[in-house]
Amino acid sequence: MAEAKAAALAPGARNPLGRGVVYAVLAVFAVFYLAPLVVVVLNSVRTAQDIGATSVIGWPRELAFDNFSRAWGSYCIAQTCAGIAPYMWNSFLLVVPATIISTLLGALNGYSVALWRFRGDNWVFGLVTLGVFLPEQMKLIPWVLVLRELGLTNSISGLVLIHVVQGISFTTLFCRNYYVAIPAELLKAARIDGAGYFRIFWRIVLPLSPPILIVTVIWQFTHIWNEFLYGVTFTSGPQQPVTAALIALSVSVSEAPQYGVQSAAVLLAALPTLLVYLFGGKYFLRGLTAGAVK
Amino acid sequence: MFTIDRRGLMAGAASLLAAPHLARAQGSVKPRLTLISQWSAGSDGAAITALGRVFEQEGGVWQHSPVPGFTTEMMNKLRADILAGNPPAASQLKGPEIAAWSRIAPTVDLTEEVKAAGYEEVVAPDLAKLHKPQGKWIALPLQIYRTNTLFVSSKAMARVGATELPTTWEAFNALAGKMQAEGITPVANGGIRWDDGMKFEIALAGISPAAYRKAIMELDDDALRGPEVLAAFQQLRRFANWMDPAVAGQHYSVFLPRFIKGEMGMLMMGGWAQGVIRHNGFDAGDYMIGQAPVDNGKPAFVLNADAFIFWRSKEPDLQAGQKLFAKLVMSKRVQEMYSKTTGSIPVRTDMDLSGEGWSEGQREAARSLNESVKANQAVLSLAHNMAQSNQLTAAMIDVLTEYVHNKAVTPEQGRQRLAEAVESAR
Amino acid sequence: MPAGTAAVAGVPPLARPAPARWRGWLGRLAPHLVLWPPLLVSVLHVVSFTAYTTWISFTPSTLLPEYDWVGVQNYVSVLNSRNWKIAYSNLVIYGCGFVLLTTALGLLLAVLIDQRIRAENLFRTIFLYPMAVSFVVTGTVWAWLLNPGIGIQHLVRGFGWAGFRFDWLVDREMAIYTIVIAGAWQASGFAMALFLAGIRSVDADLYRAAQIDGAGPWRIYRRVVLPCIGPIFIAVLVILLQFAIKTFDLVRALTGGGPGLATQLPTLVVYDLMFQRGLLGRGAAAAVMLLLSLLVVLLPYFAYARWRKRREARHG
Repeated sequence: MAEAKAAALAPGARNPLGRGVVYAVLAVFAVFYLAPLVVVVLNSVRTAQDIGATSVIGWPRELAFDNFSRAWGSYCIAQTCAGIAPYMWNSFLLVVPATIISTLLGALNGYSVALWRFRGDNWVFGLVTLGVFLPEQMKLIPWVLVLRELGLTNSISGLVLIHVVQGISFTTLFCRNYYVAIPAELLKAARIDGAGYFRIFWRIVLPLSPPILIVTVIWQFTHIWNEFLYGVTFTSGPQQPVTAALIALSVSVSEAPQYGVQSAAVLLAALPTLLVYLFGGKYFLRGLTAGAVK
Repeated sequence: MFTIDRRGLMAGAASLLAAPHLARAQGSVKPRLTLISQWSAGSDGAAITALGRVFEQEGGVWQHSPVPGFTTEMMNKLRADILAGNPPAASQLKGPEIAAWSRIAPTVDLTEEVKAAGYEEVVAPDLAKLHKPQGKWIALPLQIYRTNTLFVSSKAMARVGATELPTTWEAFNALAGKMQAEGITPVANGGIRWDDGMKFEIALAGISPAAYRKAIMELDDDALRGPEVLAAFQQLRRFANWMDPAVAGQHYSVFLPRFIKGEMGMLMMGGWAQGVIRHNGFDAGDYMIGQAPVDNGKPAFVLNADAFIFWRSKEPDLQAGQKLFAKLVMSKRVQEMYSKTTGSIPVRTDMDLSGEGWSEGQREAARSLNESVKANQAVLSLAHNMAQSNQLTAAMIDVLTEYVHNKAVTPEQGRQRLAEAVESAR
Repeated sequence: MPAGTAAVAGVPPLARPAPARWRGWLGRLAPHLVLWPPLLVSVLHVVSFTAYTTWISFTPSTLLPEYDWVGVQNYVSVLNSRNWKIAYSNLVIYGCGFVLLTTALGLLLAVLIDQRIRAENLFRTIFLYPMAVSFVVTGTVWAWLLNPGIGIQHLVRGFGWAGFRFDWLVDREMAIYTIVIAGAWQASGFAMALFLAGIRSVDADLYRAAQIDGAGPWRIYRRVVLPCIGPIFIAVLVILLQFAIKTFDLVRALTGGGPGLATQLPTLVVYDLMFQRGLLGRGAAAAVMLLLSLLVVLLPYFAYARWRKRREARHG
């Protein structure tokens, strides 16, 4: 079946020009998308003097690969000269549980709202959806108060809680919109066979879910990984996530910018999310070719 | 729901007053200091780290949590800690915000320590006032920068055949005109908010420090609508016309290479720019440095200072730590070490900067501070949140930054909008 | 919520094998124990935080929350401020431009990638990676690239095209569109991923049928694929809309709201009022107005969804 679809959509088989156009357009876009990355990569191997004396955009005069080792293990951030490595670890401790929990809860929620209909489900879904629109700036003070009441100020668990609760809005939205497309007949049949809430979820919904779960995980992982405002406000010193360390390297009023080391640090800090995309993309595809939604 | 409010906090804190001598009762404790600042990297980070080391040498436990990034993020952290009932022993705070924040949580009265150190006599009076809002010292200034410092590219000077820094705005404008005729961009400043505000304050302070004091520090309506403020807006328009349009939204440091190459002429920036220029691999011969023009021929000093506020704590080791920290911050030794690291000048006006490790720029700025204080021409910086509360400052800088980037606004309109912004923000 | 009956409202009750009574009861209860807590936490967080902010917006709160009543004073002063007026009209321009451009780019890229190309994984990663890097960083890099003095204009002129001009970033009228570009650059990869997932889940039989009818690729996309991925469109639009409304770090790093006040957005105003100027009450009022304007967009959508459901129910 997949072959049939692919055959239908492979104009190149008949029309080589069309195929050339496809690649040309993709290449142009790729250049546009890659431009900022190229600047960062170039800067990551330039010395601070080189950048400061010429321009923030340019070829390296000499290759300063030690920017990477300094950024990773010896650059002084916040009084400890251990680079971004410890902060990367903090971010992992934060991102992994928050992503897994919020994705699972989102899948359950999406399933409940989309397939296990109940009275008022649309209202509940509407309110949950509204959650994705609340600006972080607005929620900062309420979160301060909630964390204080729960005794979770200045802790990674506090941040996990924040990201799980806020993330549920997104994950529910993603999953619900995906599950809505699952044909009702499939569920009816399962119910006639006597399957309950969990059984249907486990045996029917979850096997259909890999594509949307990948999307959800990518979204949650990158958002939590890159989140800065809460990370800085609710943790301190050695507990801070890596974004806080990155901003520490960035420019302030009275400081000389450290673009070389900073760019290297940015690349290192972006590696986990980039890897999620690379491998996520692969499984994404595998999930789809395995049958997905019929 | 949540029951805490300002009064509750104050009441809770008042109960702490009941046991102020816990520290002494328990005998000697190891002094400990929890501190929030935004100094985490570069020379700022190095200076605070060195201060921490001194603190530890004196037998203390140093617990510094830098909050990197923008100042607002540090304030958010402080706010969160205060709301959670757990403020740090000391935190970085400056200008009129010291008074504002001291109203929402209890602070430490440092008057005794200040008196013992004889600190009040050696601090510029306007600066001292900011740190004792209710007549009691609750915060201590650490270092000073002069914002009205003029940097001129040596190469640009050579190209127009000039050798002397301009000392009046007339001379400045003439020099800028010559530079422009040579194809040099005369003004090398950046184009972000605080930079736009700074250009205005430098212009006004140079036109008349007295008018600056009345209009910007005292918000006198007549002065705000007066001829000096108009002249400052006119000068600000000239700056804007002499800037590269590409600087909008950019930090000044991005254009330093062009400044050093002589493609740009003059930079009005705080003393900290020396460190940034040095860091970029240029040396003191690449530029000339001095006070920005002051029309009345006497030194004037637009002052920007960093300070620590001390939050009250019930733990005896923190109380002991605060005492030790206050003593250190006020000491000549720490101020010398700190300023040498960051390129600022010490708060104490009784220090000798002739020794090794001080730059000519620092010596000149320190001299200028002393003389400006005597001539009553030391004023507080608007753009760096020293003159007004953040609310008023932001409202005023809104007007200034829009004026710089929108040439359709006339100086008269600019002056009027500034006065109106002050009126509605008060 | 009538928990006992709720679960079966959507699906007609069906015959079940009859287990022991208590097991049936537990079996019916268990889903609710799992179903409700996450939904309730989520709903509670939205409702209580919004209510709290609304409450604060009627108080004189400055640096910390205070709970006295000052009426609509905060709203009046926000509505009268230049900052807010500029920010609000910017949001409309930016919101529309960003949503349209990103959707178009995302769909185009998804269709191109769907052409059974080589190195698909590579291209997909290239288009997705902007989401992977911190917004603070990409904003800064775009500020360099878009800056006429050091970025694209400077480079193109360096190649010999002396008259080339691309100075939107420092042009008060055009600066907001640079935010649109950078925003679309960042988010279009995600739109692409969602569209791609949608396109690939279209039933292969439909393709075959269309192909047998002799439809070309363009026609297949238009007639077969697009109608099938309607829900994906809704998801993409909602995601992009929230992205547009919440845009903050990007602007802060790219233009700082400048030149002057030209690229102010409501989130910047909210943050500035609350935390820079220390006016929590006024910032809360701005936040509430931002949310209210959101309802102007969302309510018609909900009304439409309801209307469609009713119609389907009548016809179905």
